[in-house]
Formats: sequence, C-alpha cells, structure tokens
Amino acid sequence: MPPKPTKVTNRIRALRFEYGEMTQADMAERLGVTRQTVIAIEQGKYSPSLEMAFEIARLFKRPLDDVFHYMEGGADDQPFS
Amino acid sequence: MSHELRQPEDDDPVIMTAEQRSVWVYLAVVAITSTAYFAVVVPRALSQPIEDVSWITPMLWAIGVSIVGTIVGSIFGSIGGAIGLAIRGIEPKGQLEGDLRDKDIKKLGDRRSALVSGGAMFGVLVLAMIGADLFWIGNLVFLAGTVGAFVEGVTKILAYRRGF
Repeated sequence: MPPKPTKVTNRIRALRFEYGEMTQADMAERLGVTRQTVIAIEQGKYSPSLEMAFEIARLFKRPLDDVFHYMEGGADDQPFS
Repeated sequence: MSHELRQPEDDDPVIMTAEQRSVWVYLAVVAITSTAYFAVVVPRALSQPIEDVSWITPMLWAIGVSIVGTIVGSIFGSIGGAIGLAIRGIEPKGQLEGDLRDKDIKKLGDRRSALVSGGAMFGVLVLAMIGADLFWIGNLVFLAGTVGAFVEGVTKILAYRRGF
C-alpha cells in the first residue's frame, strides 16, 4: 500500500548527511523521539508538530523553511530532490 | 532521494514501537473474544426466545478476557520486541518507547472510534424508547464496542504504515 503523501516535504535526509553524517538513530535521540518517527518524517508520512519542526531546524542550525517546504500545488510538486 | 545519502545504520531493521505492537495485540484479542462471544450467543438467540437467552456471563467473560489479554499481550509484545533487538545486536534505546507520533495516532484512532460509539448511543436510545428487550440493548453496545475497536485499530495501523 503506497504511503499517504503530505503537502509538507523536507530535506532532512540530505541535511543529516551534511551535518556530520548523522544517523536516524542519532537524530531520534537528540529530538527525544523514536527512530520510526524520524523515518516517517523523512518519508513525508508524518508531519511533525510546529514545535518539533523548529527543533529539527535548530538541530541543523538552519531556518525552518530551509528544512521544510509546504507545497500548495500538492504532493507531486516535489521542491526537494 | 538518492541512496548515497543513506547511512549504513539507516538500513537497520525498523521495529514496531510498543504502542504499535499493542494495537496489533488489541486487534487480535478483540477479534478472538468477540468472535467467541457471538459464536456462543447467536446460536442461543436463534434457538430460544430472546428474553431467555443467557448473554450477560459470556459478555462479561469476553470483556474481561479482552482487557486482561490486551494488557498481558502488550507486555509480552514489548518483551519480545526487546529480545528481538538484543538478538540482532541493535540498541533498543529510541526504538521501543512511544513519542508524539504515537500520541497523534492514538488521538486519530480515538476520534474515529468515538464516531461509532456516538452512532451506537443513538441506537441504544431508540431501543430504550421502543421498550426493546435488554438483550438487544446490551448486545448493540457490545457490537458497537467491537466495531469501534476495529475502526480504532485499523485506523491506527494504517496511520503507522501509510502515514497521516
């Protein structure tokens, strides 16, 4: 069954790699969530709360809209590769 | 996303959190107990007058076994998950316990289940107004509880697997 796409995309996976090759488990530990949640956010299967989104952006020392992007046209308009 | 951005640790197997495991246990237990209940009560209801059907004791057993079975099954599920991680040499920290996503999924499941309960309450009201036998009222509530549990469980499983 295909994942249900959200309108929020992100470049967490790329940023993890840029930011010291952080693993999903490392990121989960720093955010205080499960690795499953990090995976779900990366894959666009779960939109985090605004608070967690800010925490993620802060983790990578980036502005929020450098990490997350809201697609008004729908989930097919992928702004991040 | 390109595969070059995948860390070796990212390929570690993803296991279910304790909450997700509990949802599966809950679904399995409710399926077993409700099937057993209806397997006992429906033949009785078809073979004798409704007011003579003994349904309270089987229902109490079904509810009791559902509660105890879900608690015990969830505990064993969590222990099994931890043992599974240990066997595969994976650090269990951050893999088993619940978090915000689990809470959001729980809220979603509860909301859907509440819709079923609300509809059933209306049905109970109508049955009470027309003076239906207590058999019908009790069993409508039980059926609504069973359907609500399935709606809740399936909603949660889909949210875990497909996202929401």
